[in-house]
Amino acid sequence: MKLDCWRTEPHVPLRCLRHSFLQTFLICLLLVPGLLECKQVMADQPIVLRLPMPTAGPNSLDPVRGSSQYDNIACGYVYESLLEYEYLKRPFELKPCLLESMPEVSEDGKTFRFKLREDIYFHDDPCFPDGKGRRLVTDDVFYSLKRMADNGNQPKAWWLMKDTIVGFDDYREQQNAAEDFDYDAPVEGMVKISDYEFEIVLAQPFYRFIYTLAMFQTAVLPHEAVDYYKEKFSKHPVGTGPFLMQRWDFGAKLVFVRNPSYRTMLYPADPGLNKDGSAPYTGYKEDVELGFYKDAGKRLPLADKVILTMFAENQPMWLKFLNRELDYSRVPAENFPQAFIKRRQKLRQSFKDMGIRAVPLPLLDFIYNGFNMEDPVFGGYDDKSKWLRQAISLTYDLEEINQAHYQGINLIYDGPIPNGMDGHPEGHQVANNYRGPNIPRAKKLLAKAGYPDGKGLPELVFYTSRQPASVEMAMMSKRNMAKIGVKMDVRSVDFATLSENLRKKTCPFFGLAWGSDYPDAENNLQLFYGPFKSPMSNNFNYDRAEYNELYEKVRVMQPSPERSAMYAKMRDMIIEDVPVIGAMARTRFYLIHSRLKNFKPEETFSNWPKYLTVQEP
Amino acid sequence: MFAYIIRKLVYNIPVYLAIVLLVMILLRQRDPVAGLLGKNADAKDYAAKKQELGLNRPFLIQYGDLLRSIFTFQFDEESWTQPGVTVGEKLVEAVPRSLALTVPALVLTSLISIVVAMISAFNRGRFLDKLLVFLAVLGMSISFLVYIIFGQYFGAYQLSQWLGRPVFSIHGYEPGLVNWAYYMLLPVLISVIVSMGYDTRFYRAVMVEETQRDYITTARAKGATRGKVMFVHMLRNAMIPIITRIMITLPFLVTGSILLEQFFGIPGMGYVLLSAIRNNDFPVVETFTAVFAGLFILSIIATDILYALFDPRVRLQ
Amino acid sequence: MSMTDRFFKTREFRKLFRNKSAVIAMLVIAAYLFTALFVMCGGITRETCDTVVGQNKMPGFFIQQTPEQRYENATSKFLPMVQRALSRADQTAALADVRLGQERVVNKSAAQLQAIIDRAIELKNELNQSEDLDADSARLPQLKALEDQVAMLKAPLTGWSRLMQNASLVLGTDAQGRSIFLRGLYSIKIAIQIGLVTAAFCVLLGALLGAAAGYFGGWVDHGIVWVYTTFSSIPNLVLLVVLSYAFTDSEVKDTLLPVYIAFGATFWIGTCRVIRGETLKLKRMEYIQAAQTAGFSPFYILVRHVIPNTAHLMLINFSLLLIGAIKSEVILSFLGFGVKGQPSWGIMIRDAGNNGDVVSGFFWEIGTATALMFALVLAFNILSDALQDAFDPKHV
Repeated sequence: MKLDCWRTEPHVPLRCLRHSFLQTFLICLLLVPGLLECKQVMADQPIVLRLPMPTAGPNSLDPVRGSSQYDNIACGYVYESLLEYEYLKRPFELKPCLLESMPEVSEDGKTFRFKLREDIYFHDDPCFPDGKGRRLVTDDVFYSLKRMADNGNQPKAWWLMKDTIVGFDDYREQQNAAEDFDYDAPVEGMVKISDYEFEIVLAQPFYRFIYTLAMFQTAVLPHEAVDYYKEKFSKHPVGTGPFLMQRWDFGAKLVFVRNPSYRTMLYPADPGLNKDGSAPYTGYKEDVELGFYKDAGKRLPLADKVILTMFAENQPMWLKFLNRELDYSRVPAENFPQAFIKRRQKLRQSFKDMGIRAVPLPLLDFIYNGFNMEDPVFGGYDDKSKWLRQAISLTYDLEEINQAHYQGINLIYDGPIPNGMDGHPEGHQVANNYRGPNIPRAKKLLAKAGYPDGKGLPELVFYTSRQPASVEMAMMSKRNMAKIGVKMDVRSVDFATLSENLRKKTCPFFGLAWGSDYPDAENNLQLFYGPFKSPMSNNFNYDRAEYNELYEKVRVMQPSPERSAMYAKMRDMIIEDVPVIGAMARTRFYLIHSRLKNFKPEETFSNWPKYLTVQEP
Repeated sequence: MFAYIIRKLVYNIPVYLAIVLLVMILLRQRDPVAGLLGKNADAKDYAAKKQELGLNRPFLIQYGDLLRSIFTFQFDEESWTQPGVTVGEKLVEAVPRSLALTVPALVLTSLISIVVAMISAFNRGRFLDKLLVFLAVLGMSISFLVYIIFGQYFGAYQLSQWLGRPVFSIHGYEPGLVNWAYYMLLPVLISVIVSMGYDTRFYRAVMVEETQRDYITTARAKGATRGKVMFVHMLRNAMIPIITRIMITLPFLVTGSILLEQFFGIPGMGYVLLSAIRNNDFPVVETFTAVFAGLFILSIIATDILYALFDPRVRLQ
Repeated sequence: MSMTDRFFKTREFRKLFRNKSAVIAMLVIAAYLFTALFVMCGGITRETCDTVVGQNKMPGFFIQQTPEQRYENATSKFLPMVQRALSRADQTAALADVRLGQERVVNKSAAQLQAIIDRAIELKNELNQSEDLDADSARLPQLKALEDQVAMLKAPLTGWSRLMQNASLVLGTDAQGRSIFLRGLYSIKIAIQIGLVTAAFCVLLGALLGAAAGYFGGWVDHGIVWVYTTFSSIPNLVLLVVLSYAFTDSEVKDTLLPVYIAFGATFWIGTCRVIRGETLKLKRMEYIQAAQTAGFSPFYILVRHVIPNTAHLMLINFSLLLIGAIKSEVILSFLGFGVKGQPSWGIMIRDAGNNGDVVSGFFWEIGTATALMFALVLAFNILSDALQDAFDPKHV
């Protein structure tokens, strides 16, 4: 910097100053676009997907340690499970992935017989001799399942396997107690027939088991990788999937590249219309119109590289999408009115002109506020405590919350079963509901419960997340509750604190959400099963003998009208007892740039990246 | 001089020991293990976990352990949120990123604001001075958040839309010098604009005070040129507050600008620390905090040494 | 005390009042203080700030709303509220319960109300056939009719309530339909409170400790440096998070006490360091050494000579800390560790950021918070500059 200009006259320095800014500005203008140009030239040839991940991202790529939807997405690139979902078909349909064919189920529904494909090789990786991936065999499947039981792996998904496979629970107890976890010790219910054939025997014919096999937690991985990388394994995923992980900047970026040795998997063929001219599945015509079958028969994965960027904040993701630096984006609720005409939920013309396509995706969400049924005041099963909870439920104005925080696009429904599943009430509403706001009725019930105008009632302590929106929602509810004289004390805590308090059963009232793992209501109904009380998944500590009995029956039933009736009965029991106030389900809106092909958004499963490709218009 | 440095170092060791102790006590006000295990753990798992992590050992032993790892640079404790990655690896990864953001920002800010402050002080009371002070004050009167929110929106998004191609990154980070301008320049500029108001004001106050000292008048009377007075006499005497100010900000070079890193998705120290706090990643929080404190102490020692260099009288103390 | 004496010397005061910008700044600050006092006396309560006064995200004065927005405003909030109340068994009570800010249901029979609503729904359905109202000017008369129907549901406002309703809508509403204007005003109190308390406390503490450390040296110096080194060597954020953890279950969690403690524990350090450095320098000055030789007590010298000679630094620091406190509050609130359960500029800016206001071009909330904060900070800066000019003993 030319500081000596002081010497001549005092007013020159401003020019110095301008120089420094000019220099900075020149750096911006010259350096940056130049760099970008090189980048664009380089990126010309291979097909690169640039996808967002709306969170700080996964913490680990070890499937047994994963639990969130984001773990699921990330693991979906590198790992595969025995089964997967058909990409385009709706309603969901399972199909074999690592298997030759769908498993054969015995008459009593307890024994599953599997036949593995023989052309499946693990990723080429230094953990194998010569760095060449080995063929996948039966032992790998058993090994991977057993990893879910090994406490040394900090597994998060044991609940999927608990009480399911014959002898597996005992095996877990024994091995965790022993000095070393012995993966070679036998489990009664896992029977090896040959390297490519095996059987799994269940204790009871659980209907959900087949879905479990499509979940990413049951992905099959080689023991060599775990032995080789040891505690670093979660950073060096080795699976059978369509992509290899190339780079991982924790909390920022994940880069995957095509797995060159991926088995021959082809893009699904166009099933064509049924003979009677009807569509083979829901949404088929739209798929054809969108050209989803243009790539039929091509070898998967279609893309060479996927750059997955994590966004802890919504706004940067949204801006980057608008700037065409991302191929698609979810629409953050707060930006909904910017992109859509709210009245009709239709994309604005300016967005259509940019070649953007909008896809609404109703989620299998259960957003609720739950009571601790063991709380001395607000819990309990006698009439008075029931009336108290019903009164509180009647103060809730979910529509107000929906309008203020979700742009009115959420679905509000009664009971714990999300829309589209067996047991969801028709019209999203049951006759005997306690849906608010109905202040006069709430007041009456409160008086009946022995607390006229809230007199004598202690403060209701409500735990919610630190998210500003959650706090604001809680404040709305607090305001509404004050109308009948119930006082609420809102505690916004981080998720760890909330979990800790749930585990200790010290949250009288709390706000949480559950996203279904598989499209069956059993997944939500188990949240109220007595034996699953805290510290397991039943956060409400709801425990009613009739309910538990019903649950034990339905979980071993195949879909049938009988089962539907039982689901409805369980649902109504929950609605009447009000261990939970709710519920809401979000509709996620996806915006997709025209260059991204074959994208049909889905959040329940995540094997879709291999079908995607980009094509600049 | 050497003896002075040694004396300073020795003197600061007990200070640091106390800091580490304080950090550990503060962080143990809540049970980290309960948060780690989540709601699906029972008492047995809990005890086992505590045992495994060594958190049930006597406090003093844990204290000694942490100290040992700091003084031997062996940060091989595993992160809780990111299994398989040690705290040391996280440090090594995060520190350069923060530095790439904060060092240019500090250098630019200091240079620009000292120059502006000198211009201002020398023209004290004139229109230029008033204008500069007014601008500085204007700049300071707006929240950091507003700068970031608007900076990101206009600087990264609108500019790109307007020029038809990306100029600055809206969010994200790539290592490497070639990528620096794309990812870092905008946050650096925002940071400079934000801190300029504060620094200019401060330096101007210091300079104004110096211009009124007798020695300046004497020097001018003796016929020293304006430039000489400014740079030789005044700047040297104004150095103590200037260095103090710069030194105070040095440790923050490492923690980085948390908000900027958060908004622009740059995984530096601040970003890592904040997400560790949010995710209850106890070893990361503890180590990052302790390392930060260590760096801070080193910077204080450096301040003292620089003091002594510029003002030899201090050394005699 | 000497400092107070000096402040009351009329020559300086005359000089201060000659400075026009200082006078303006003082008037602005006085207005803020008055507002803060008004709020503190119950002029605007937390409940008032939380009350929904209108449709979500309504812009303030001057803005011509697009037909789509007008449709949205007409059909949300009041219309469904009345509709819902009418469908209840206890209509009268439910209708009396309907309120949107100062707006109430007009005093008409249920049948009349129902007729108005039926007509409104009819219009709504007609309008709904339009693809895009913004591009469909033929529908505008229908839209107007719909708005009129909704207006017919509302009881006419008079006098005070009309004034209140207009005032609360003057700067529009936030994403929940709460008045931005009232929330902004309430935040003045929070800002003034946090700023004054923190700055006063920290400057006094920092100056006293800094001067003592610099002047006495030895163990006093070591002790004070040890304390501030310890406090400042823990990252601010960690200290704040730990404190907010510690207060999670206590009675003060909804008050400003955690913020005070967090700021109080960290903000004095800067002042302390600067004053200590200055004192070290002053100590070498002839007049201090003369005073020492003359046998004055160290305490006297400290109070009479050292501290007054650092007054200009204290002033600068006071203004810096005041601004610093207000702005740190913004950042803390943004991260979720600051003010809770009541509005503050920080929370308003955060909400605006979270609600995508900037991206969608809705600047009312962030603009109001920024403008109010900006004016206050600016005024304080100008005033402290003017004070420095006027009261600096070395500058005539």
